[in-house]
Amino acid sequence: MALGLVCLIASPVRATVLLPADMPEVARAAAAITVGRVVAVTTRLEPGTRRIERVITLEVTQYLKGDLGREVHVAVPGGQMGHYRTVMVGAPEFAPGDEVVLFLATRAAGLPYVVGLHQGAYRITLDTRSGTRVVSPAPLVRDPDTTGAVAVRRGDPARRPLALDAFAAEVRRALAGPASRVPRRAR
Amino acid sequence: MIRRPGPGLVAVVMVAACGLTASAYLKFGTASGGTGSSLRWVKQPARYFVTDRGVPGVSAADLDAALGRAFGTWQGVSSADIRFERVGFTGSPPFEPDGVSVIGFEQRPDLERTLGATTYTYDTRTGELLEADIFLNSTFDWSVAPAGEPGRFDVESIALHEIGHFVGLGHSALGETELRPGGGRRVVGAEAAMFPIAFGAGTVLGRTLRADDVAGVSDLYPSGSFRESTGSVSGRVTKGGVGVFGAHITAFNLRSGALVGGYSLSRDGRFTIAGLAPGPTVLRAEPLDDGDVQSFFPEDAEVDVDFRVSYGDRAVVVPEGGGVGEVLIKVVAK
Repeated sequence: MALGLVCLIASPVRATVLLPADMPEVARAAAAITVGRVVAVTTRLEPGTRRIERVITLEVTQYLKGDLGREVHVAVPGGQMGHYRTVMVGAPEFAPGDEVVLFLATRAAGLPYVVGLHQGAYRITLDTRSGTRVVSPAPLVRDPDTTGAVAVRRGDPARRPLALDAFAAEVRRALAGPASRVPRRAR
Repeated sequence: MIRRPGPGLVAVVMVAACGLTASAYLKFGTASGGTGSSLRWVKQPARYFVTDRGVPGVSAADLDAALGRAFGTWQGVSSADIRFERVGFTGSPPFEPDGVSVIGFEQRPDLERTLGATTYTYDTRTGELLEADIFLNSTFDWSVAPAGEPGRFDVESIALHEIGHFVGLGHSALGETELRPGGGRRVVGAEAAMFPIAFGAGTVLGRTLRADDVAGVSDLYPSGSFRESTGSVSGRVTKGGVGVFGAHITAFNLRSGALVGGYSLSRDGRFTIAGLAPGPTVLRAEPLDDGDVQSFFPEDAEVDVDFRVSYGDRAVVVPEGGGVGEVLIKVVAK
C-alpha cells in the first residue's frame, strides 16, 4: 500500500498570467541589478508556509544598480522536495555555473527576489558567431528615435542579444531616464 | 537561449518526443517508462472548492459566481466533453497539496506582476490530474462588474485563463504586445485566452474563448464528432536544412479568419496542428523571441529564436476528418 502511494505522489506545476514589462520598467523597480555567477541552488519550504521555493546563491562580480554585497541569496518560486515538484511557469530556472544578470527587489521579511519573474532575469552566454559574451534575451527597449507605440514584432532582425557592456549601458540609460538615451543608429 | 537539463516534467514537448501526436497550442504532459501522456481529468466532473474569503470589491459570493461563469464557458464548448462540479466554500487556502482543488485569493506581494497561477497535482505515471489549485493575487485590485471597472482586473477573465490550465492546457503564443510611448509594455491583441500576458486593468476582453482555446480543450476532451469534423496540418520547419525546435506555427483559416497555433516539437523541426476547421489555410513560422520561452516549454528545451518570420512553401486546404502532410517552412537566421 505504501509503495502504491509513493507512485502516486505528484508533481505540482504552476502556470501564471503576468503583467508585461519592458526592461526600463523592471530596472526602475529593482533595488539592485547584479552581474554574477550562480554558485548554489537549494530548495526549502518558504518560512511560515507549505510553499516550495529555491534559494539561489549568487556570487556578484558587478552591480549595475544598488549593492547587496558580494554574495547574495535570492528566493525563486518552485522547486523539488522529495517526490514533490512545484514549477511556476514564468519563474526563471538556475543551475550552478550560470552567469546571469538579475534585477532584484528586496523586502522587509524574506530574501531578495527577481522582479517580474523571468522578466528580471537575463543569461550571459558566448555568441559563437562573434566570440563575445552576450546577454540574452535581447532587452525590450524603445528606440528613442521613434514616437508613439512600437509593436514588438517576432523575428525582428534588429532585436538580438547585446554584448554585456552594451547591455550594461542600456540599463544605465534606462535608469537615467529617456533624455539620456542615445539614438540606436548613432551607436 | 540556453536551457539547463532538469528533472522530467510537463509540457507537450515530452509527449511529442514519446511519439504522441502534438496538437495546436500546448498541452501539459508527463513522460514515464518511455511513453508520454497528456495531463487531463479522467474522473469527471472535475470538482473544486472556492475559498470563503473575498477582497475589497469582490465578496466570496462574487468570486464564486465569476468562477462559475468561467467554468461554464469552458464546459460550453460543444466539441469538448469536460464537466466541472462546484462542491462548496472552504476555509483552506489554495496550494495546499491535500487532494482537494481549491480556488481563491491569496496575498503575494512578492509576485508583483503575477495576477494568478495554477498548481497541478497529478499521477506522474499516467498524467491523470488529481488536484488543481488556482490563486488570484489579492495584491491587485479586482472586479466582477459586467463591463469591468477602471483600474481593476477582471476576475472572470483571469479565471478563464487559469481554468484553461486547470483542464490541462499550457500557454498559447497567439498574442501581440507593444512598447508604450511613456514606457512599459502592453498587450494589443490576443487570439487565445491562454496567451500568458494579461490585458490591462479595466477590460473584460479575456472572457471569451477563441479558436485556439477551443481546439485545445477539444483535443484533450474530444466529443463524439470532433475528430471527424476537423483536420490537421503537419510538416517541418528548417533553417539551412536543419530542423528548428520551438518555432511557433500559426494556421490562419482564410475562410473564417480563425487562428490556431502550434509548435515544432522535435529536433528535426516537425510539427502537427490538429483541430483545424476545414478550408484554405496559410501557415507561418515565427520565433518566440519577444517573451519567455519557459512559459511554453520545459527548462531543458533548447528553443531556437534566431530566425526571421517565414511562410509555408504552399497553400494548403485542410480536409474534414483528415490531414495535410509534409508542408515545409524554410526560415533564415536573423
